[in-house]
Amino acid sequence: MLKLFFADLKMLARNRQSLFWSLMFPLMFTAIFGLFFGRSNNIGGSIGLINKSNSEVAQNYQKALTEAKILEIKNYDDVNIAKKNLGKNQIGAVIEIPEGFGEKKPNAPTQIKIYEDVASTQVTALVTGFSEKFFTALNYQIQNVKPNFGYAEEKTNTKTLSYFDFVLAGVLGLALMNSSIIGISVSMSKYREDKILKRIMTTPVKTWKFVLAEVLSRLTINLVQVSIILTVGVFGFNAHIYGNLFILLLMALLGGVLFQLIGFVVASFSKTADAAEGMATAITIPMMFLAGVFFPIDALPKWLYSFVQYLPLAPLLRILRGVALEAKPIWDNPINLYIVFGWIIIMLILAISRFRLTEE
Amino acid sequence: MPKVIDVQNLVKKYGKLNAVNDISFSVNRGEVFGLLGENGAGKTTTLEIIEGLRKATRGKIIVLGHDIKSGTNKIKEKIGVELQSSAYYRFLNLKEILSLFGSFYQKSLDPTSLLKMVDLEDKAKSYVGNISGGQKQRFSIIASLINDPDIVFLDEPTTGLDPLARRHLWEIINKVKSQGKTIVLTTHYMEEAEVLCDRVAIMDKGKILTMGETHSLIEHLKKPYTISFKAERVNEKILTDLRKLGDVKKESGKTNAYEINLQTQKEVNGALESLFKIKPECLDVGRATLEDVFIELTGKNIEEEENNA
Repeated sequence: MLKLFFADLKMLARNRQSLFWSLMFPLMFTAIFGLFFGRSNNIGGSIGLINKSNSEVAQNYQKALTEAKILEIKNYDDVNIAKKNLGKNQIGAVIEIPEGFGEKKPNAPTQIKIYEDVASTQVTALVTGFSEKFFTALNYQIQNVKPNFGYAEEKTNTKTLSYFDFVLAGVLGLALMNSSIIGISVSMSKYREDKILKRIMTTPVKTWKFVLAEVLSRLTINLVQVSIILTVGVFGFNAHIYGNLFILLLMALLGGVLFQLIGFVVASFSKTADAAEGMATAITIPMMFLAGVFFPIDALPKWLYSFVQYLPLAPLLRILRGVALEAKPIWDNPINLYIVFGWIIIMLILAISRFRLTEE
Repeated sequence: MPKVIDVQNLVKKYGKLNAVNDISFSVNRGEVFGLLGENGAGKTTTLEIIEGLRKATRGKIIVLGHDIKSGTNKIKEKIGVELQSSAYYRFLNLKEILSLFGSFYQKSLDPTSLLKMVDLEDKAKSYVGNISGGQKQRFSIIASLINDPDIVFLDEPTTGLDPLARRHLWEIINKVKSQGKTIVLTTHYMEEAEVLCDRVAIMDKGKILTMGETHSLIEHLKKPYTISFKAERVNEKILTDLRKLGDVKKESGKTNAYEINLQTQKEVNGALESLFKIKPECLDVGRATLEDVFIELTGKNIEEEENNA
């Protein structure tokens, strides 16, 4: 059995097609989303800044704006060039601090100018909000007034999270799903087509040992797969993982088991390897979009959401994200675990009753 | 000789079709036993039931002293099986496949010496996809020997091979036999069965038509002598004379070529006398073949049937 396990591992490593689905395909997604969304740290956009004043106020304003790290700041000398770039949408707003602003002499300008662009309301809101707050505080200070009312801020989620973090957990699920469903269904159908399964049946080896070696070797590949995706995501593209890595891997393996079972069921319904590949793709591609790999599915229309939230990948992704991003214990929302185990039981029954190594 | 396989009243039904229809036979230790017949005659089904791959509808089968129903695993330890046109793992090399299959058994032979036996030792590191059809078939045979079995089942071992590769395989089968193993094979090449098999059973439509030692089946033919000739000066008169002695058949394809099946030596002499008159360019007097047995029993030519299938 151990020999069968290592032979299976060896074959998986030598099979380029299986390596593509288990490693290259998810890494491609990691890289694409990482390049788009990975490196920036919650920066909402960029603005152009023209600071023509050397006054303390002007310098403080620029310093505060830079340190707030809410926007990327590009410095310009000429307001016209900045406005041109604003028109091209290369920056979201332009702030002009006029000459002499904030200096302690009569007739010195008291207002900065913000050029807005209708296309980037978010940047505008950030800039105006920040400036409003900064100058209000400054005004109070100059007038020596203490504000009577205010608010205390408390963030519910103190961790830095980005869209890429959300996607990376999705890609984990995607990788597990693709490599297991496509991998098992295609290889089992191919084994049956080539009569390898039948040949195995002529030896005294027990069916369950044969199947178990196949499953375990693929779970081992799953571990490697998940580790590589996480490593590339975290070290290559600044992804954040807050939860317990061990639990995360454990949950990934749970997903691996579920998807392999689906693979066996697909193999039991398909007569040829080509048919299995078609069937497996027809299952994985829609699930990739509907189960929330790339975007939160609660944004879907309610009738659709009420259905797709139960797809096998959906609860698994909720568990993976819960562990990875929020460091929640897995029993925090046990319904997700129940759905996953429910699917495992359904697929196990189907696989046992339908999957045969050989015809009668 | 002790029986190693005993099949009694075996029936296998697929729906209403009787794929195997109440057959009984036994195989002795150390012999080469051939199941002959066209595609669909029930040879493979019979073999796969004995191998434990399919369940019989009815009948009793004892293999090496174990009942097939209760002793499947003990039987599987002791038999080697080559399936019809079966492939092996694509991403393991020949040696790795052999040692993997060896690990399925309690005892197994050394892969390298098996590869050496069929001149494949320099292909030990190749994948199955990268070797020729003949090499594949040779590999398939040694793969069935990995557990040093008592009985080896070969299902159409030479189908699709060129004549040279086929002869090479016959030598290998002889080598296996000389190691004292019992061999059960199926084939639809009569010539092959004649060369290889000690005993044959001829099957048609799920039934065994006849069974016995290969040479005695031929000897017991109604017309065991055959004359074939080719003569340009052949005419109706000669043919009429010959028809009085035996069955005259025109050989398909060749021009002016005929074959006569005859019953007695006296008829042979008479036929030859007539034939000398027309000075045949080519004349061959011989014994009938297994193919003639098959034709006599089924009234059809097996190769023709193959082509029509």
